[in-house]
Amino acid sequence: MFTELKFALGRLRGRILGWGLGLGIYSLWMVSLFADVSKIDIEAYLEAFPKEMMAFFGGIMELASPQGYLDTYYFNYMTLIVGILAIGVGAGLLVNDEERGILDLILAHPIGRTALFWGRYLSLVLCLVIVLLVGQLGWILPPASANMNLTPVEFLMPCLPLLAVLLLFGSLALLLSMALPSGRLASAISGGLLVANYLLVGMANLNADLKPLIEFTPLHYYQGGYAIAGIEWGWLVGLLGASVLMALAAWGLFTQRDIRVGGEHEWRLAGPLRRLARRA
Amino acid sequence: MNDTPAIEIRGLEKSYGPVWALRGVDLEVARGEVFGFLGPNGAGKTTTIRCMLDLIRPQAGMIRVLGLDPQAEPTAVRAQVGYLPGELNLEPNLRVGATLRYLAALRGNRLDWAFVQELSERLQLSLDTPVKNLSKGNKQKVGVIQALMARPELLLLDEPTSGLDPLMQQEVYRLIREAQAGGATVFFSSHVISEVEVLASRVSIIRHGRIVETVEPRQLLSMTTRRVRVRFMERVDLAALDGLPGVSLLAQDDGLSVTVQVEGAVDALIKALAALPIADLQTEHPSLEELFLAYYEDQKEAA
Repeated sequence: MFTELKFALGRLRGRILGWGLGLGIYSLWMVSLFADVSKIDIEAYLEAFPKEMMAFFGGIMELASPQGYLDTYYFNYMTLIVGILAIGVGAGLLVNDEERGILDLILAHPIGRTALFWGRYLSLVLCLVIVLLVGQLGWILPPASANMNLTPVEFLMPCLPLLAVLLLFGSLALLLSMALPSGRLASAISGGLLVANYLLVGMANLNADLKPLIEFTPLHYYQGGYAIAGIEWGWLVGLLGASVLMALAAWGLFTQRDIRVGGEHEWRLAGPLRRLARRA
Repeated sequence: MNDTPAIEIRGLEKSYGPVWALRGVDLEVARGEVFGFLGPNGAGKTTTIRCMLDLIRPQAGMIRVLGLDPQAEPTAVRAQVGYLPGELNLEPNLRVGATLRYLAALRGNRLDWAFVQELSERLQLSLDTPVKNLSKGNKQKVGVIQALMARPELLLLDEPTSGLDPLMQQEVYRLIREAQAGGATVFFSSHVISEVEVLASRVSIIRHGRIVETVEPRQLLSMTTRRVRVRFMERVDLAALDGLPGVSLLAQDDGLSVTVQVEGAVDALIKALAALPIADLQTEHPSLEELFLAYYEDQKEAA
């Protein structure tokens, strides 16, 4: 499993470096603006914007507080931004090699499918952890962060719910890649669901009728920057639990199914989905 | 344990949706044997091999590889098997040496690196070359090296010389013979009769997912058919070709050219043609599928 973890992480090093540094530089820039933003009269400033827009972005009125600022300018939409990475890596974790015909050779060696799967899954987890930590360094590093009066631990706390959400969508993409005919389809569907969920949560701030609906979506249980005030452990465990369940389902499918070789036979849905499609 | 066959397959069936790739394959390969698996493209050779490694799961049948059930003990089977896929794909961003080290790590690093270097020298392949810069033939060499490098008990080689030039093909034949001399069993698939004749001690012929025959390589000679096209410098009397053993006339152009089919040795035809003024001569081997069709049609008629 560790051979596979090392191999998979090695292949992800370019993405880890690119995403981590990109987020780190963005954070540095954002933290340097906090002192100026906190001085302005936020209420007067926001009056220029439509009320609906303010409602869509929820806690934007708290822009002058460190947690409101962190949420508005970083954690609120990092689910979407870093979600692209999580979904891309998750969907391609095994299927990329399968579609390129590399998995055939790897699995002809004495490595079990279980060890291969969890080695790769661990690489997804570590990839996201490293990217978030490197990205967060921009907020934490002095002297710019001094204005925000937060400890490094407080800066890192919102990363936990963000990691949980990213893992959930990464695991969903992985699960779909095991069940659907191609990795691209899996990432497109997962990405679509993430964007739809993000929009739905924003729309629910405008329309109270949508509130009951978003309770069934993962982003409703995402705290964003407000995790600084205290993590909702039940929500966090719920999100992580859902990720683990999806990873387990993906593992089950991977250990049971044929390893495909492009051109040898048609690309089909996994067994249970195929039966459902046939009935429909 | 060692008196069990290296490979034992009974009633193996595998379908991809509505398409049956294997329809009850039976095979037995003794330990230490070089066994050829001959069949046209799409006959089920690769599917059979991939079932042996638990890469795909059959619908029915029994497989034992070195006495082990690949579905129950896949890693134990693969630990003793060197596999060369028919369509070899490698991680493009690694160098050849790093690729081999990664694959060796999957075997727990039990590897004689000096042997890897010897293999790469014999196959004239630099370990420092990035995989993405390799030609198809050189990728195939990486495949051959990774299959042999752990000195496995059983070699499963799917079209081992595909993409290699004739000199390298000969080197791969030598490596396969050396592996056998070292105690390994070799099971290789091919759609080239001459390759199977050169290497194998026994051959199974697979067609449409069924084993149609298991023979010794010399018996393949009776299946060797070729077409010969001859163009003459002037109009000739083709009566000289009548009644030659194994030669049948397919077409002629008023004594200026002729196309014949020859079964078995071409000696009699060459001797008969030697007396005629030849402008050009071309020989052509039919595809394995055409050959099988002709061979089995003949057998059916004889029966």
